[in-house]
Amino acid sequence: MSVHSGQMQTLLPRESLLWVFAAQFVVLLPHFTHLPIWLVFAWGIAVYWRLEVFRGRREIPGRVVKLVAVSLAVAGLAMTYRRWFALEPMVALLAVSFTLKNIELLSRRDALLSLTLAYFLVATLFVFDQTIPYALYGVFSLLVVTAALVAQQGSGSARAGRAFGLSAKLLAQAVPVMLVLFVVMPRLGPLWAVPQNTSAASTGISDSMSPGDFSRLSKSDKPALRISFDGPVPPPEQRYWRGLVYTHFDGRRWSEPGITGNRWAGRRSRLHREDEQSLPAVGPRYRYQVIQEASHNPWLFALATPHSDTSGVRTTAEDTLIYRNPVGSRLAYDVRSWPRESVPVQSGLSAAEQRRHLQLPKSGNPEARAWATARRNEGMDAEAISQALLAMYSRSFTYTLQPPALGADTVDEFLFETQQGFCEHFANSYVFTMRAAGVPARVVAGYQGGEWVEQQEYLLVRQYDAHAWAEIWLPERGWVRVDPTTSVAPQRIRDGLQSAAADEFMQDALLPLHKIAFVTRLRLQWDMINYRWYRTVVSFDAERQEGLLRRLLGEISPLRLAIFLGTPVIMALAVLLLWLNFSGRGPALAPADRLYLRFCRRMARAGLPRNPGEAAVDYARRIEREWPPLAPMALRITLAYEKAAFADDAQALKQLRRLLRTFWPLRLSPRPGTTSPTPVSLR
Amino acid sequence: MLEKVSSDTGGLHADTTSPLNRRWLRWLDRRLPAAASVTLNHRKLFVLPTAAGMGFLLLIFLLWLLGTNYENNLVLALAFLLVGLVVILPVHTFANLSGLRLRLLEVDPAFAGDFGTAKIVLERTGKRTHERVRLSWPPEEGVLVDITTGEPVDVRLDLPLVRRGRVRAPRIRVESRFPLGLFKCWSWVDLDVEFLVYPQPKAPGPLPWGASVGEGEQEKSFSVSGDDFAGLKNYQAGDSLRHVAWKQFAGGRDLYSKEYASGSDARLWLDWDLLAGRDPETRLSNLCAWVLEAERSQVAYGLRLPGQVLAPALGSAHRHKVLSALALFPVKGVMG
Repeated sequence: MSVHSGQMQTLLPRESLLWVFAAQFVVLLPHFTHLPIWLVFAWGIAVYWRLEVFRGRREIPGRVVKLVAVSLAVAGLAMTYRRWFALEPMVALLAVSFTLKNIELLSRRDALLSLTLAYFLVATLFVFDQTIPYALYGVFSLLVVTAALVAQQGSGSARAGRAFGLSAKLLAQAVPVMLVLFVVMPRLGPLWAVPQNTSAASTGISDSMSPGDFSRLSKSDKPALRISFDGPVPPPEQRYWRGLVYTHFDGRRWSEPGITGNRWAGRRSRLHREDEQSLPAVGPRYRYQVIQEASHNPWLFALATPHSDTSGVRTTAEDTLIYRNPVGSRLAYDVRSWPRESVPVQSGLSAAEQRRHLQLPKSGNPEARAWATARRNEGMDAEAISQALLAMYSRSFTYTLQPPALGADTVDEFLFETQQGFCEHFANSYVFTMRAAGVPARVVAGYQGGEWVEQQEYLLVRQYDAHAWAEIWLPERGWVRVDPTTSVAPQRIRDGLQSAAADEFMQDALLPLHKIAFVTRLRLQWDMINYRWYRTVVSFDAERQEGLLRRLLGEISPLRLAIFLGTPVIMALAVLLLWLNFSGRGPALAPADRLYLRFCRRMARAGLPRNPGEAAVDYARRIEREWPPLAPMALRITLAYEKAAFADDAQALKQLRRLLRTFWPLRLSPRPGTTSPTPVSLR
Repeated sequence: MLEKVSSDTGGLHADTTSPLNRRWLRWLDRRLPAAASVTLNHRKLFVLPTAAGMGFLLLIFLLWLLGTNYENNLVLALAFLLVGLVVILPVHTFANLSGLRLRLLEVDPAFAGDFGTAKIVLERTGKRTHERVRLSWPPEEGVLVDITTGEPVDVRLDLPLVRRGRVRAPRIRVESRFPLGLFKCWSWVDLDVEFLVYPQPKAPGPLPWGASVGEGEQEKSFSVSGDDFAGLKNYQAGDSLRHVAWKQFAGGRDLYSKEYASGSDARLWLDWDLLAGRDPETRLSNLCAWVLEAERSQVAYGLRLPGQVLAPALGSAHRHKVLSALALFPVKGVMG
């Protein structure tokens, strides 16, 4: 083989180009769903064009064409997004730069730049979604991008097997460093506010409620919350995960005035100040951690009278938790909940609060109002009226997920005509009627229940557990939870929606998978894996980091941290040095030589080493002289070796191997001599 | 020796005379002394990130920012994984060159203004393969080789030569960016390559038949090509193959050369004095062109230089002798 100067190619060879395009495709693929369609086409055209250039059928576009392309792309982006500093436009921008660069992908530098951008796109994928499938896809894309980088080195490394093999090897070797850094690197928290995803949640509890809204949620079995408890677990009938409180009723919809319009500002104004909040002297009843799926809303979910030390989480005046940003990706927060009885009862509602919780539209629903006034006039107190109303529900109402449509006076029609509905209808009519009777009341939306996952010890709350209930103000007890749905369908509260509406549950699902026990079990398994993944990786934050370090190191001191960081480095260096030492040790031995050396080693261990430079035959003769019992075997081995090594006899090599399998000379007595042969074991 | 490197390479390294560079070269001379065979090891190799590698570090920083700001552990993990890559890559890049042996095979003489070619053998000293190894005399592009099998690889490396004489080649740059191109590992190897550079041939006109001037032309002509067959003599290396007595050779005898003689004074003397009036380098170039012309037309030729006379003869050995005389002719002190 001989090489001469001038074989270098300055332009990218074909295989390098194809690798770059493959890497781009792999990293763009998951983004194709939310990228504008024109961008996908533009990318395809650019790739096609560049390949045509490679074949010599087309020229690299001139300055004018490029200028037009850039302007079109920028205009397209501007029209599609209208705002720049969010994630989606950023991804689109990266895709555009790919596309435009592709047309003039000429030198190795261009290719390296393009692949560097590809790494970045892999990262943006994780910002969109951190679930296991995405993480696996991310690993796959990393493998491809790194392989493409390997392939840039040239023809030999561009072979798919070689490139992937090398890429996998390099990434695998980088993993230990990653693990150490992941555990050790301090988490700083956001350095500046980042714009969150704009894409709305497919399901979720919204900032307003009108009868019928939640039926949509009842069709989704997506997880909403995963809750693990530190200590006792609340019984099913206590699992009311409060998220939102609606106080305003406009005749049809329930909403919260503060959160429409300028949504969070209004809320913030009514936040408890941390220092004002007096935590009761007794301990909390429940301690738990909630992992909440992305809801794109700021409200969090917790049992009544919650308090959280997780940064960014505040407690509102309505005993709910709220986050500083809309929850754009999974969020974990720790909560302590006190039973309401233990929290000191406010002396009474302020006049403003009283007004707020008695607010009703001027007109509408006359029958309900009349019913409420009648009860009032009978001299019943708040609790008695509530009892009467609940008794009415349990007498003649039906729980169904497919209630008949309601007209203008939803409460009247529901209470006195249709009498069929689910939680919203009950909560809606209950709160309306209680207010009409002069009892301060409000609607609470959130989740109720959850499935206990035994193996992993957490409560899985799904979207179909979305629920609405009511709270009324009793002067001596404060806010008291009343769930009117219980009076109709107690099993809804006890056993969840699935048993309460068995026939209707998930009726519209494409496949009635929830009815197959095996599939249900599998799904639960999958959710467990997900939960694990989320707890260990995705939600690993500064606090948990400290905990882990404490567990690993005991007390965290700079010295220990240095040792923790330094040990792997030193070990890695030592392994590296050893490797360099050994791999530089001359060419690999032929199999026959290796086997023969094994024979020599065993002989040496037995006390009869081969002298330096001694030929194999001489050695065999010496063995024969000094230790006759071993001679036949040694001779056969030596012969087989010579045949295998010098005559390239495959048969002899096999024989040598076979002979060595049974050749285990025992250690000789102190001084081997010709006169006193020691017994030899040939196993 | 340093002086030699900087002066003899004839402008190839115009900046080698700067003090910093001198010190660098002196340091290199101590650390990597010239030898015909060099095995690369940790003492001789340097590793640094390439421009792409710096870009990669910037990428890692941006990823870290993204991950930190979005509090996204997967992005952070990705950034850390890439840090891991940056940690292990220098080792791989280094290992790719370590253990590679370079041996100078031969150096062909060349003409000034042309490329000199050094034949270098690359071979493994261990089990490790060496991929994408570039050998070059910067700023020349050089050669890119893979040494993946146990077979040694011959490489021909070209150096543009400007001036005649003995030219000591600068250090050879051995570089590899394998496997990802983010780090480069390199060495400056001095294989003691020395080119004998003949003057650049510049044709002064037709061959100076019988135009020799001066005193010594009454000598008997011998082995000047003519028409008359004068006899056979033992073949010597360098004799023209045209004059080999093939018939005798085919008859089983030794190899003989036929000798021709001519009564005329058709002896060709390439004489320094013939070209009086031109500057010495041009005269050497002219003589060189004549040598080539004479060799082409198979005319025995002799060379007369001030203080040096080479008897007329033919063949590649003679050609080399004559051209070497021209290449090494000291111009200083000789006035045209």
